[in-house]
Amino acid sequence: MKQIGKIIATEKVPTTVDEFFFWTDKELIIKPFDVVKVNHIKSSITFGVVEEISHLTDNSSFLAGYISSDFGDVNYQQYTQRIGMNYVRAKVVGNSQGIYTPVLDGSFVSLASEDDIREALGLKDIKNPLPCGYIEMYEQPDSVTIPVHFNSHFLIGPEGAHLNISGISGLASKTSYAMFLLKAIQDQYIEKSKGESVAFVLLNVKGRDLLAIDEINDELTSDDKSIYKMLDLSTIPFQNVKYFYPYSKDIVSSTYGRDVKSQMELNKAFLYKYIFEDDKESIDLLFSNVDDPNQTMESIVNYIATGQGGFNGITNWNELLNEVYEHTKAGASGKDKEITVLSWRKFYRLFRKTIEKTTIFSNSISSKPKDNETRLKEAILNIKKNDVFVIDVAKLDEETQGFVFGDVMRSIYELKLGQAYDRNEADIPSKIVIFIDELNKYASKEVPKSSPILRQLLDITERGRSLGIILFSAEQFKSDIHDRVKGNCATHAYGRTNAIEISKPDYQYVPKVYKSMLTRLKQGEYVVQNPVFRSLLNIKFPRPIYKQFKNG
Amino acid sequence: MVLSLPVEANPETRNTELFFNNLKEKINNTPRVQKIGLKFSNILSYSSKANVDSKELKYEHLGIAAIQDEMVDSEKKIVANLTAKNLLNEDSYLLKDGSLQYKPMKTGEYKELSKIKNNYRCVIGVSKLFNPEFSKDRSGKSNAALLAKLPLYHRTPAYMFQHERENWSYLGDYKYSVWYVRIRDAKHTESPFAGIVKIEKILITENENENGLESDLIDVITANIINERNPVCYGKDSRWANHLYPVYLTELFLKSKYLSDIHFLNLF
Repeated sequence: MKQIGKIIATEKVPTTVDEFFFWTDKELIIKPFDVVKVNHIKSSITFGVVEEISHLTDNSSFLAGYISSDFGDVNYQQYTQRIGMNYVRAKVVGNSQGIYTPVLDGSFVSLASEDDIREALGLKDIKNPLPCGYIEMYEQPDSVTIPVHFNSHFLIGPEGAHLNISGISGLASKTSYAMFLLKAIQDQYIEKSKGESVAFVLLNVKGRDLLAIDEINDELTSDDKSIYKMLDLSTIPFQNVKYFYPYSKDIVSSTYGRDVKSQMELNKAFLYKYIFEDDKESIDLLFSNVDDPNQTMESIVNYIATGQGGFNGITNWNELLNEVYEHTKAGASGKDKEITVLSWRKFYRLFRKTIEKTTIFSNSISSKPKDNETRLKEAILNIKKNDVFVIDVAKLDEETQGFVFGDVMRSIYELKLGQAYDRNEADIPSKIVIFIDELNKYASKEVPKSSPILRQLLDITERGRSLGIILFSAEQFKSDIHDRVKGNCATHAYGRTNAIEISKPDYQYVPKVYKSMLTRLKQGEYVVQNPVFRSLLNIKFPRPIYKQFKNG
Repeated sequence: MVLSLPVEANPETRNTELFFNNLKEKINNTPRVQKIGLKFSNILSYSSKANVDSKELKYEHLGIAAIQDEMVDSEKKIVANLTAKNLLNEDSYLLKDGSLQYKPMKTGEYKELSKIKNNYRCVIGVSKLFNPEFSKDRSGKSNAALLAKLPLYHRTPAYMFQHERENWSYLGDYKYSVWYVRIRDAKHTESPFAGIVKIEKILITENENENGLESDLIDVITANIINERNPVCYGKDSRWANHLYPVYLTELFLKSKYLSDIHFLNLF
């Protein structure tokens, strides 16, 4: 391969087990994340990943530079070039024979072949390969494009699980990347009839993002399609998709979706409702963002769910609201001294706000097949292999969104623990992947410790792997997220972010040049970290395969 | 690499060349010299008797003189080679650091400059340091004061120069053209003569020898020297104002090849 320089080891800057330096021509185009190889002892080859590139000349000071331009004449063009060169700092990522003695001064450095790059980055012989994008390296005519694969056992279990994607909204295209991976997973599992199976539950939190994932993207160019082909992915959108919209009479008032009716006619859209009788135990989820240091809210919820006081025999949400109102009256606390009237009033205030605002809390479910009404929990408990459930919460208020998300997680937990139903074990998908955007709403560092949603999330990230519940989450700022939630994610994808974010301790281990690269990443570019890879990878992925809505 | 020794190092009066050749082989075969990978190509000899009347006779001066002669000789050899390979022409001149005033030598392949003068058609000498008193006006008075006031990017007129006949034997009989040019503004330099370089060119053709160098050619050469004023080696060499970057780099390279005194002394 093309030789591009030689190793330099000096008294002050020696080569080490971890890194080495080499000089290159100052006009050679090379960039961070590029792989280089160095001839090492015993005919072995040491691989390095470029971290930093510096240019230097024999200019002794800035002043000499100024003087060399005729004492500050900006228009002056010098005829003689100063002697200068580039030197590159590279991180050692491996040696072909496992030799980690530092590379020697004067050793040849060259560009790596496709095969070398695979070996260097740990992309070779990956078991259970799952496409996660591709890397592009070097400039023409030496450029190479290599598909990158995760070991799916490290993404969706059993070895490692959970994915966290971070990046500023819009430019990072977090949803697109998550969907790209989910699509790859579906492609892989849909053909399998035996062994592991998978199902997906996605929450649509903004606009119409995920409300047409089974429809084709008309704007996809043949270039995009060829990338899908290179990655061994089909070019059809998601299959077996079911949409769940919040119930309201006219439908439009509770969702941004516009094709709900036609989707219902095709029997792939449903309207979900919460019925008091079956869902009263989930009320606590409504208060997950309320500071509850004395756990009074929790006690009230318990009080109601167990039918104490006047709460026995209540059959619908309105009766509940009335009964709660009774408890807010002065002197009412006589009935139960443990909970003060003030607490009841607070509960009433918060509860009424939600109940009156949203239309999903209903008295009954229509049994007419045409109405396509359902309880979310019921639907989830019946999820089948390869199913993709999209649950739309975009137009709901924040408390209700949390409520629905919490309820979804609980239902999945119940399904996987086999508590709820007499479903045949073999029919239950062995893995269920949940995708939630804006994780910061539910698992930020500011969320009260008592929040039932946070507890549920912690449970999933800490124990979900063994149960087969996998969390794909996304947020703008990773540093906001609860340490235990992000700490338990095996795979991290970093999209474009800003300078303030990269100054946070979360990014301490990221080399300085990569950090500033994070602030410049293009749309469709990610830096990924996965236990299988030997270093961070700068990958690209194609545009979404499903229908995109330009205006939300 | 050469060594220089007084001719008296040879105990016999005959076979000088043979003796030093043998000595050279002997030194080159010393284990220590071999180990370091050095190789002497010649041992120069000089006579200390010839100058016995000189009061300041020192062997080291004589030795250095012999080596300098060798240096000058190899310099001429290089120029001859470049010319033979047709590398020197109107578009690519050779710039020699220092003066082109070669004295005639008693030994060496290129001892007679007049025979090799043609090689110097496209060679100029540029000196950083010079004796300003040397520059004289028509009446023969020193021109140093005017030279100090030379404006930026201006040159003095070139004057034809030839050593006086009685000195030809040791300064050479050829004519050359000399002029000065200021490449740095005096307000930026530490002395009035810093920033001025002296340019020399040997006169070759009959016409040149009669009438001096053509002004056009002088201007072109001067302009090229002015263009080489940048980049500067400011901060690395105190003579930065008079230095030309390519010369500075070459000098730095050569100096980097020097053996240290201690190293050298311990060879033997």
